[in-house]
Amino acid sequence: MNKRKLLAGPYLFWSVSFIIIPLFMVIYYGLTNDNGDFTLKNLAAMATPENLKALGLSLLLSVISTTVCLLLAYPLAMILTNMKVGKSSFIVLMFILPMWVNFLLRTLAWQNLLENNGVINTLLRFLNLPTIDIINTPYAIVLGMVYDFLPFMVLPIYNVLSKIDQNVISAARDLGANSFQTFLKIIFPLSLPGVISGITMVFVPSLTTFVISDLLGGSKVLLIGNVIDQTFTQGSDWHTGSGLSLVLTIFIVASMILVAKYDKEGKGAAF
Amino acid sequence: MKKTLQKIYLALILILLYAPILTLVVLSFNASKTRSKWGGFTGEWYVALFQNESIMNALYTTLIIAFLSALFATILGTMAAIGLQATKKKLRSVFLTIANIPMLNAEIVTGISLMLLFLAFRMTLGFTTILLAHITFNIPYVMLSVLPKLKQTDIHTYEAAQDLGASPLYAFFKVVFPDILPGVLSGFLMAFTMSLDDFIITHFTKGPGVDTLSTKIYSEVRKGIKPEMYALSTLMFVTVLFLLVLINTAPPKKLTKEERQKQRKAVRISRTIFRKVVPAMLVIVIVAGGFFYNSKQNFANGSNRVIVYNWGEYLDPEAITMFEEETGIDVVYEEYETNEIMYPKVESGAIAYDVICPSDYMIQRMIDNDLLAKINFDNIPNIKNIGQTYMEQSRQFDANNEYSVPYCWGTVGILYNKKMVKEPIESWSVLWDEDYKDSILMQDSVRDAFGVTLKYLGYSLNSTDRDELYEAQELLIEQKPLVQAYVIDQVRDKMINNEAAIGVIYSGEAIYCQQENPDLEYVIPKEGSNIWIDSWVIPKNAQHKENAEKFINFLCRPDIALMNFEFITYSTPNTAARELIEDPAIRNSRIAFPDASELEGCETFKFLGDKNDRIYNELWRQVKSK
Repeated sequence: MNKRKLLAGPYLFWSVSFIIIPLFMVIYYGLTNDNGDFTLKNLAAMATPENLKALGLSLLLSVISTTVCLLLAYPLAMILTNMKVGKSSFIVLMFILPMWVNFLLRTLAWQNLLENNGVINTLLRFLNLPTIDIINTPYAIVLGMVYDFLPFMVLPIYNVLSKIDQNVISAARDLGANSFQTFLKIIFPLSLPGVISGITMVFVPSLTTFVISDLLGGSKVLLIGNVIDQTFTQGSDWHTGSGLSLVLTIFIVASMILVAKYDKEGKGAAF
Repeated sequence: MKKTLQKIYLALILILLYAPILTLVVLSFNASKTRSKWGGFTGEWYVALFQNESIMNALYTTLIIAFLSALFATILGTMAAIGLQATKKKLRSVFLTIANIPMLNAEIVTGISLMLLFLAFRMTLGFTTILLAHITFNIPYVMLSVLPKLKQTDIHTYEAAQDLGASPLYAFFKVVFPDILPGVLSGFLMAFTMSLDDFIITHFTKGPGVDTLSTKIYSEVRKGIKPEMYALSTLMFVTVLFLLVLINTAPPKKLTKEERQKQRKAVRISRTIFRKVVPAMLVIVIVAGGFFYNSKQNFANGSNRVIVYNWGEYLDPEAITMFEEETGIDVVYEEYETNEIMYPKVESGAIAYDVICPSDYMIQRMIDNDLLAKINFDNIPNIKNIGQTYMEQSRQFDANNEYSVPYCWGTVGILYNKKMVKEPIESWSVLWDEDYKDSILMQDSVRDAFGVTLKYLGYSLNSTDRDELYEAQELLIEQKPLVQAYVIDQVRDKMINNEAAIGVIYSGEAIYCQQENPDLEYVIPKEGSNIWIDSWVIPKNAQHKENAEKFINFLCRPDIALMNFEFITYSTPNTAARELIEDPAIRNSRIAFPDASELEGCETFKFLGDKNDRIYNELWRQVKSK
C-alpha cells in the first residue's frame, strides 16, 4: 500500500516547481509595490465599489451558467448512459469535437449568429417572427459561457453515471422504489463526484473569463476577469493585478471548499 | 414517446453546439474577406492555406504541444491519482487542492505566474516553456477524470487478485486499470483538447517566432481573421469527424451466425485497420510533420538574424520574404496587440528584440526609461524618403530624432453610415446624441475614450487636470447607455455589416471599411482629435543592431513602403511611396492624407507618467462598471 504513494512523487515535484513556486511569485508581487516594499494596497484594491460590483456580477453570471449547464447536462448524460455502448461513446465524442475548433473562433461565430443583422435574426425576420436582441447584454455572455463550458459538465457526469452498477438500480426497484425515488436515493448520490467535478470545471472558468464578455458582451459588462486582464495588459500594473488575482484565488478556493463539503468523499471506494 | 423526446433533446443540444461551427464552415467558403458580408462562393482559401507557411507552422506546433503535453499529463496525472488514492484523507485533500490550483486560478494568473517563473530562472521563452505550462494545466483535467473512476473501483477485487497470487503490478493492470481506462482515455482526450484550445497561458509563456493557432488567431483579430483560418478549422473539424466515424463504424448488425463467422475475420481486419492503424498513422504523420517543421525552424536559428516585434498584421509578409532573400538575414517575427502588452516584455529584458514598432507616447516612455538605443542613421540612407513634416512631428516624443523612424501614422475619427445618419457629422457631440442609442461603437481603450471626450470638452487629450478628467468621466458615464459596444478591433466588421451607425475608429481602418461598404464616411471632428505615429525603434539590449538598421532601411524604400501601405491601409509617412500610389483617389484620399487644416486641432498622445496612467485606468474602470 505504501509503495503506491510513491507514484504521486513525480507529480509532487512537478506541482512544487510549476504551481507552488509560481504562486509564491504572484503572492510576492501582490504584496509588494514598485519599490519592492511590503504593502496591502494591492489586495485592498478589490474593495473598491467597481471591483466589488464586477466580482458580484461575475459570481452571479457564473452561478447562473453553472446551473444552466447542470440542468442541461444531467439529463443529457443520463440519455447517453442509457444508449447502446458503441453509439454512446460516439455521441460523447461529439461533445468534445467542437473544442477542436479554436474557442476564439467559435465565440466570434456566436457574434455572427447573434448580431442585430446576424444569422439568427435574419432567419427570424424571414419567418416574420420577433427578433432576439441579446448581443452585448449579460444574456449573450451567459449563452457564451454555457456554450463554451457545457462539455466540461457533461463528460464528468457521464463518466460517473456510466459506471453505476445496474444491479444497484434493479435492487432499488425490487425493493419498491419508483423511478423518482431510485433517482433521488440511488443514482443522484452515486453521481455526486461527477457533478462536483462538473461544477468545478464550469464555475471557475466562467468566473474568471474575460474573452467571452469582451466578444459577446461588447465590453459593456465588466467582469472580474476583465478587471484583472486590464490591470495587467492595459495598465501594465503587475502588482495590483497580482493582488487582485490573489483575492480572487482565495475566493475561489473558499467556495470550492464549501462545495467539497458536499462531496462525501471516499466511502471506502478506494481501488 | 420518451425515446422521441430524448432524441429531440439530444438534437437540440447538438444544434447549439454545432451552430457556430457551421457558421465557420460557411465563412471558409466566403469570397469576401470580412466575416460580416457574403461575397459569393470560393474555394481559394483552401489553396491559400497550404501556401501559408506561418499558419501551417502554427498548426504543427499546436498539434505537437497538444500531443506531448497530453501524453505527459496523462502519465503524471494517472500516477498521481493512484498514488493519492493510497494516501491519508487529509494529506490527499491538501494535495488535491494544490493540484486544482491551475484549474481554479484565473488562466491569466497561471499564465503570468509561470512566465514570472521562467523569467526568474532565465529560461528562454519558447516551445519548451509552452510545453511545460501546458503539462501543468493539463494534469488536473486528467486527475479529475481518473479520480471519480478510481473512487468507484472496488478495493476488494484488487485484493482478491493479489490473494490469488498476482503481483501488485500485475493485479493493477489486470484488475484496476481496465476499470479506470475510460477515465484515463477521456483524461488524455480532455488534456489534448484543452491544450489545443488554450490561448491565455500560451500567450504569456511563448517566445518570439513560436506560435500556436490560438495566439496566431488572436493576433489576427486586430485586422480581422484571415479566411484561411476558417478553412483550416473546417479541415481539422472534418478530419476529426471522419476519424470518429471510422473508429465507430460498427459491423452490420443483422447477420446469421454463419455469415457472421465468415465476416468475422474481415471485420476484425478492417477493425484493426480503422481503429488502430489509421489513427496511429495519423499520429505518425503529425509528429513527423512537426519535427520536419521544427528542424526547418532550427536552421533559422543562426546568428545572422533580426528579431522583429511588431503590431499584429502590420507588415506585408511578402516584404519579409523579400528582405530575407535580398540580405540573407533571417527574420524572426513576433506580434503584439497593444503597447501595454509589449512594454513589460521589453522592460524585463527577457527577450532581446532587435526592432520594435511602438506608438508615440510609448516611445517617449521607453526613452525616459532608457530602454532604447540611438539609431545610426548612416545605415539608414532611405530616411530621406520620410516626409519632413513627420520627422518634425516625431520631435514631440523623440526630441532630437535620434531614436525613431516613422512607419505609419493616422488619426482617430468617426466612421458613420450615410444611410443611417441624416446629416453629415462634424462634431464629437454625435456620440452623445440620444437618436443613435445602441448604434454607437466606442473605442475600448482608456486613452482613446478619454482623448475623444477631452477633445469634445475643449481640453487637451493629454490633460492631467483632475477636474477636467472628472468632467470627462462624467460624460463617458452619461454616454454608456447609448453605446452599443466598446470595441477595438471589431469596429470594422460591425460597421461593414451595418450593425451600427457610428463608430470611433482609426483612419487606416476607415479606408478598408469604405472599400467594403461605400455607404461609410470618415470624418475628423472639428474639435480636433488624436494624431498618432508608430515608429521603428531599436531596444538597448538588441543583439543584432546592424541587421535591425538594415531592416528599417529596407522598410523605408519607397516600393516596400507602398507594398505595406497597400497591405495595412494605414497612412505612410513615406512621401516617395505616396507618389508611387497609382490610384489618385487613394493618393489624394482625405482619410489617408488629410490636409494640414484638418489636423489643426489634433494632438499626439504623451506619456503622462505611471501615476497619471493609474488615475486614467481607475476612472475608466469606474465608467465600465456603471
